[in-house]
Amino acid sequence: MDELTREFLIESQEGLDRMERCLTDLEERPRDADLLGEIFRSVHTIKGTTGFLGFTRLEKLAHAGENLLGLLRDGKLSANRSIITGLLQLMDALRGILRIIETHNHEGGSGDRSEDGGAVADKDAQLISLLHELQHTEAAPAQVHAAVNNAAAARPVAQMFDAAGASALEPATDLASPRTGTSAASDSTLRVDVMLLNRMMNLVGELVLTRNQILQATSLDPSLAILTRRLDMVTADLRESVMRARMQPVANVFSKFPRMIRDLSQLLQRKVRLVMEGQETELDKSLLEAIKDPLTHAVRNSLDHGIEPPETRIAAGKDPEGTLRLRAYQESSYVIIEVSDDGAGICVEKVRRKAIERGLIATERAAVLGERELLQLIFLPGFSTAEAVTSVSGRGVGMDVVKTNVEKIGGKVEIDSRPGKGTTLRLRIPLTLAIIPALIVRSLKQSFALPQGSLSELVHIPSERAATAIEWMDGTPLYRLRGQLLPLIFLDRMLSPLVRPSSVAAKSKAEGAVAGEGFIAVLDADGRRFGLVVDGLADPEEIVVKPLSGVLKSIGLYSGATVLGSGDLALILDPGSIASRAGVTMRTQEEQVKSAQGEREDEHETDMIGSRYLLVEIAGRRAAVPLRDVLRIERISFSRIEYVGYRPVLNSEGQLLPVEDSGGVLAAAGGDPSAQVVVVVCREGNRQVGIAVSHVFDVAAGSELFEAGSQHRASGVTLLNDSVTGVVDLDSVAPLPLGSGGEVEPSEWAAETMA
Amino acid sequence: MSAKTDLALRKELAPLQGTPLLEMCSVRIGHALFGIPITHVLEIVGGVCPQAVPLAPEFVGGLMHYRGDVLTTVSLRHLLALPYREGRHDILVLESAGGCFGLLVDSVGEVLTVSTADYEPNPSILDERRRALFAGAYKLKEGLLIMLDSERLDPMRLAASAV
Repeated sequence: MDELTREFLIESQEGLDRMERCLTDLEERPRDADLLGEIFRSVHTIKGTTGFLGFTRLEKLAHAGENLLGLLRDGKLSANRSIITGLLQLMDALRGILRIIETHNHEGGSGDRSEDGGAVADKDAQLISLLHELQHTEAAPAQVHAAVNNAAAARPVAQMFDAAGASALEPATDLASPRTGTSAASDSTLRVDVMLLNRMMNLVGELVLTRNQILQATSLDPSLAILTRRLDMVTADLRESVMRARMQPVANVFSKFPRMIRDLSQLLQRKVRLVMEGQETELDKSLLEAIKDPLTHAVRNSLDHGIEPPETRIAAGKDPEGTLRLRAYQESSYVIIEVSDDGAGICVEKVRRKAIERGLIATERAAVLGERELLQLIFLPGFSTAEAVTSVSGRGVGMDVVKTNVEKIGGKVEIDSRPGKGTTLRLRIPLTLAIIPALIVRSLKQSFALPQGSLSELVHIPSERAATAIEWMDGTPLYRLRGQLLPLIFLDRMLSPLVRPSSVAAKSKAEGAVAGEGFIAVLDADGRRFGLVVDGLADPEEIVVKPLSGVLKSIGLYSGATVLGSGDLALILDPGSIASRAGVTMRTQEEQVKSAQGEREDEHETDMIGSRYLLVEIAGRRAAVPLRDVLRIERISFSRIEYVGYRPVLNSEGQLLPVEDSGGVLAAAGGDPSAQVVVVVCREGNRQVGIAVSHVFDVAAGSELFEAGSQHRASGVTLLNDSVTGVVDLDSVAPLPLGSGGEVEPSEWAAETMA
Repeated sequence: MSAKTDLALRKELAPLQGTPLLEMCSVRIGHALFGIPITHVLEIVGGVCPQAVPLAPEFVGGLMHYRGDVLTTVSLRHLLALPYREGRHDILVLESAGGCFGLLVDSVGEVLTVSTADYEPNPSILDERRRALFAGAYKLKEGLLIMLDSERLDPMRLAASAV
């Protein structure tokens, strides 16, 4: 395919995308001149170029559409539903032809004389005559004289084409003025091959590695500190810029929903208003592709099972027109996409019944389940068959598919539903795939990377407890995690297949072999929970994922490799495959229910982890940090704490975190750069803050306290392990004085701290 | 460093000469001398300690970091059923149809110019394994230069032929 045709295809696709958006808007504002102008322009451009390139089939269709659009734009016709449907059909036909050109390099149809070609030509002719009809039948309401109308109808088709062709020329001239505005925008953008961007990303990853090595090599030489600092910052900026270059607004995916909802609501006899928010939120291109299907599924579900037919809504005292809200926003390193409707919601009783019916859950278990656990049941694979859908008024169509697709790219799906009020589905998507946060673990004297996404917690087994902490069920290692048995997998044993506890002797040897310090990484992979026993932990790192060759991919346990800051290579472990290899299956339903109950602390609490706290000690005092705000816990050496003025800050992966030190933990450690401090990194609104603590104890469920004699909830305190504990107020951590005006150059204050 | 530029220069000149002379990068494993056409060699990296990959096929010598990519390496020692050798290795980065990979050798020697007239295909008494691995030999004054080529050493192909 030559360059010209390729350009034409890209341009036309974009034009049609714009047209699609405008057409759905046009339904609400049928006389909007800007919209009509835009649509006309798209079709006109296609027509103009096709004639030049010799795609006659495209040209004919575009021409017929242009005639109709010309009348609309000049106000001689007003857009109504059937005209818009006709135009949408035209758009689909044009898209279809473009697709044929893309694959076969010719437009199909008219050229070949086969049966197929004939059918295509017939279809084209039908569409063209439909577009012609629309020009006339709908003319009356638009105050066009009947005489003109009749005359036009009587004219032979060939003449019509001429007349319209002439009129098509003049709009091109009057369109010239608004065009200057758009061309300025297109001058400032550039099409770049994705391959090139990937290459750039790769090189930036290299630079990040080199930087890490330089930072390590020069850490002892103060004369280089300022230079390496600068290198550090520039690299971080560069990495961000290249990542941003791969980003595309979610509008690219959202834009197809107005049309889909229009078609579906007509099909399902629903009245739906679509509200889209945050379309400018950006996401990596490959991720955007990956969420297209799950999102379509979710939207379709909302329409099919969420929003009720108008009569039902009126009967329930609601606006007959339902609202479907698509919302995208960024939250730290995730993009959240919400699909919410104000429909019937999910009736948990029906879910319960259905789950029992399908044998997904035992009757006695189902009886004690709370709403939240019941809602989770709809993500079970067995729940998504067609019968289940029609008899359950909630969601159900392939929700397991939505969940697995989103989890495949490291995201999460949450659902929230209130009967009669509506349902919200929340997709949490990581910003990028190429660089992921990972925990580096040691086993077999080498490093492995564990994606943070599947890591739920870490358990330390000190050497004195090593022999007793792990229990054996005839050769199978288990760990009691808060009263529940967690299956364990020893990473070193899994990776060295020679040690297999097959015989009795080998088994007792294997059981006895657990000695010395160890860590259990509690992993959650596709609903399977298990503990991975490793020898040691290194710092968490943001790793650049590198693909593995086919030979190593086929081992199945590794999802890639990465180069660590130390320059060493590390294999990235795939928790899902490890679980399958070791035979950890999906938890039986009973277990799942049990654990759900274990996690559930408060019947009335809507947010499961909302009432859970991280119990810490700050300078001798117990305090609680809401668990949902905790991002990670870092043990760092005091030398990593720097000061902006008197404010302690932590430079974490190029981001500055203000560190709250109300208890004077840092002050106590002051002066000794080798001292270790623990910083709990929390999310507060859109920023991250650190809290310096002396110890981290545990996670505990808090109960709300009520003031004696009143129903007022006591704020700022909670009841943890039966004692009243103060809750750290993240909101009160003052922002850093790094305004746009008075930005402190990091290298400057680095120099300050050194002096 | 100069060896590399020299190599690059020869690589450019090779097609210009148009003679039946070919240039082979010689590598040593134990006492045997092997040759690989320099047109297959992207780069020679010395003193690398490849990262072991647990559970990988035995012929895989580990992973190496090469210009932003992680390459799988093939241990020539293992392919020849020689004992494993500790420590650092020289690696030839080779290009095959399936992509790039590294070839772990004991040491890389000089570039030899051989004449096509000295070529002999694999003898019939060679066992099947080696027949699949070698691409004939050149008769040099000082001994045989056993030919290897990147397609035969490609990890994917080795994995497919491994029992």
